[in-house]
Amino acid sequence: MIKVAHLYYDLLNLYGEQGNILAIKNAFKNQNIDIRIDYLTINDKINFSSYDLVYLGSGSDESLMIALNDLKKYAKDIKKYIENNKYLIATGNSYLLFGKSIDDVTSLGIFNYYAKSDKRLRDHSFMVYKDLSPIIGFQNRKYIVQNNENHLFKVISGLADNYKSLTEGYNYKNFYGTYLIGPLLIRNPHLTDLIVSDLCIKNNYKYHIDTNTPEYKAYNEYLKNFYENNS
Amino acid sequence: MKISFLILLNKIITIICKIFRKQASVFPASIVRKLDSNILSKIKYPKYVIGVTGSSGKGSTTSMIAHILEDNNYKVIWNKSGSNVVNGTTTIILNNTNTFTHKLNGDVLLLEMDESYIKETFKKSTLTHLVITNITRDQPARNGEPELILNKIKESFNEEVHLILNVDDPFVNRLTYLNNKITTYGIDKTKYSLNKPYSNNIDAAYCPFCHTKLNYSYYHYGHLGKYTCPNKDFTRKVDFLAKNVNLEKQNMIINNQEYHLNKNVFFAAYYTLAAFALCKTIGLSDEQLNYSLNKNILESKRLKNLTFDNRLVQMIESKNENNLSYLQSLNYINNYPNEKTIILGFDNVSRRYKYNDLSWLYDVDFEILNLKNVDKIIIIGRFRYDCLARLLNANIPEDKILLIDDVEDIPKLLKTTKGTIFTMVCFDMTAVLKKIFLEEQND
Repeated sequence: MIKVAHLYYDLLNLYGEQGNILAIKNAFKNQNIDIRIDYLTINDKINFSSYDLVYLGSGSDESLMIALNDLKKYAKDIKKYIENNKYLIATGNSYLLFGKSIDDVTSLGIFNYYAKSDKRLRDHSFMVYKDLSPIIGFQNRKYIVQNNENHLFKVISGLADNYKSLTEGYNYKNFYGTYLIGPLLIRNPHLTDLIVSDLCIKNNYKYHIDTNTPEYKAYNEYLKNFYENNS
Repeated sequence: MKISFLILLNKIITIICKIFRKQASVFPASIVRKLDSNILSKIKYPKYVIGVTGSSGKGSTTSMIAHILEDNNYKVIWNKSGSNVVNGTTTIILNNTNTFTHKLNGDVLLLEMDESYIKETFKKSTLTHLVITNITRDQPARNGEPELILNKIKESFNEEVHLILNVDDPFVNRLTYLNNKITTYGIDKTKYSLNKPYSNNIDAAYCPFCHTKLNYSYYHYGHLGKYTCPNKDFTRKVDFLAKNVNLEKQNMIINNQEYHLNKNVFFAAYYTLAAFALCKTIGLSDEQLNYSLNKNILESKRLKNLTFDNRLVQMIESKNENNLSYLQSLNYINNYPNEKTIILGFDNVSRRYKYNDLSWLYDVDFEILNLKNVDKIIIIGRFRYDCLARLLNANIPEDKILLIDDVEDIPKLLKTTKGTIFTMVCFDMTAVLKKIFLEEQND
């Protein structure tokens, strides 16, 4: 059985990010692989080592700080979890929690990047990840990020970490942090397949990629309407 | 002299715009404000300057307040057209101001106001009353988080303004801790109340003071309901409580008196109650309210109704940018007791901004459409596969969903479906569908 935790489901779930949990759940279900999703929040005991994948979405500034205060006691557990090649996916501003600081607030300090508040920036994004076809998404950010290492995406168009950067997000082992908001894993089924198939290999399950799904059709249609016609 | 000239100029440009059928509600003030951006601070306002704001329901609340006040012989100047940002508001005010005395020609100035523009429209002391209907995820691609909307509203008034607040919404309830005069309203548990929300995307789930999770006794929808902070740091005190809301009978009870709802949707209870609370606050009697709500009933805006193949077609324009408004429309369709076919889809997310961010699709509980009396759901538009993926993820059976690449095929496909037809599509596709239905009707 695959075990997934949706952390702070009631605080960091601002932009339809429960869609990402649906994407993961259905990917395993379609392969007839058992999956358990635990919905955890403030004051719940989070046993990181028992999970294969942990997910966090976006929140308001206020919610982000409430989550940070709760998460601080787990900093060592999270570091160990990431070093053990477990999956941690943080989208929107929740990925800032794993860096050094958010303005003057010290965050978990697991990685070296830090965030500074800026004017609100928003845009559609097309990103490059490995040799996959473009990653699509949307950003609505009020922080810029200073980061010199382990970049997740090369930016084709849309917002990067900061005004000078050409990259976005952070990737170390199976930690994926990006400011892309919303149902990223629904909208990028090829990325979901990459993650889910790797989890299957790790857990000795077979995985068959099916590209004849509405998610793939939606993705291809979006590329046709907004990428190919403009590039 | 200069003010008189500007008021006159506004009136003349409005007349010219009307002759040439141009934007008479916004354009005049866009010129006048270039000549004097502070023109609104130089007008002599009446005793009551009432603003109505919030993420949704402000237009309906404003209409209901205007109806009650006009019914009771107040001369009300209000933005009937729903033009609620700075230029629209300025045009209305100047067109209703005496050119020479600079006095507004009314007993009440009543304005539906976009929550982001109150501060840019008025000085902090201009409003005498401000009604706040709710603060929810609203155009998140443009506005960001609800807390930002709350802060924008908070920055737009001073301590003199009397606030009329919907405290079923914990965000709005935060304002009861200010030093203003406060009147609150809320709705008691109804037969439609939920013990837990459909999904996990609840805003304001935590106490703003001690950050403990709020305990809800019931939810009406979204984060609206009855809640308490376990540490008693945050309480919901209701001055005007509506009880026994009954959508089938279209009524509710306030202070032991039954009042009619002019629409069989839940938010009708909210806009009627908000109007009631405001009118009581400015001194209207129960008899006056009874007359305006129960006898001389405000006719509700009718949906665009057509027929197709001897079946009724009800057209609802979807508000994609606000997941709770969208949900209310789905609830309206759901409450229809007979068999139905639903057309959903969009080409663009919003008419207000260019971003086609799809996050909101996963903030709407499409799960509620999984009903026996829904015959088919037809999906159209540029994002039809995204909608298909969403509906399947919401466990809507695949055989109930039909996907259309070309909207011209709709008549043929509709003939294979059953029941009343509900369309809930975006602004641009409503026009296309209407044309198709009208052509069929005329054949």
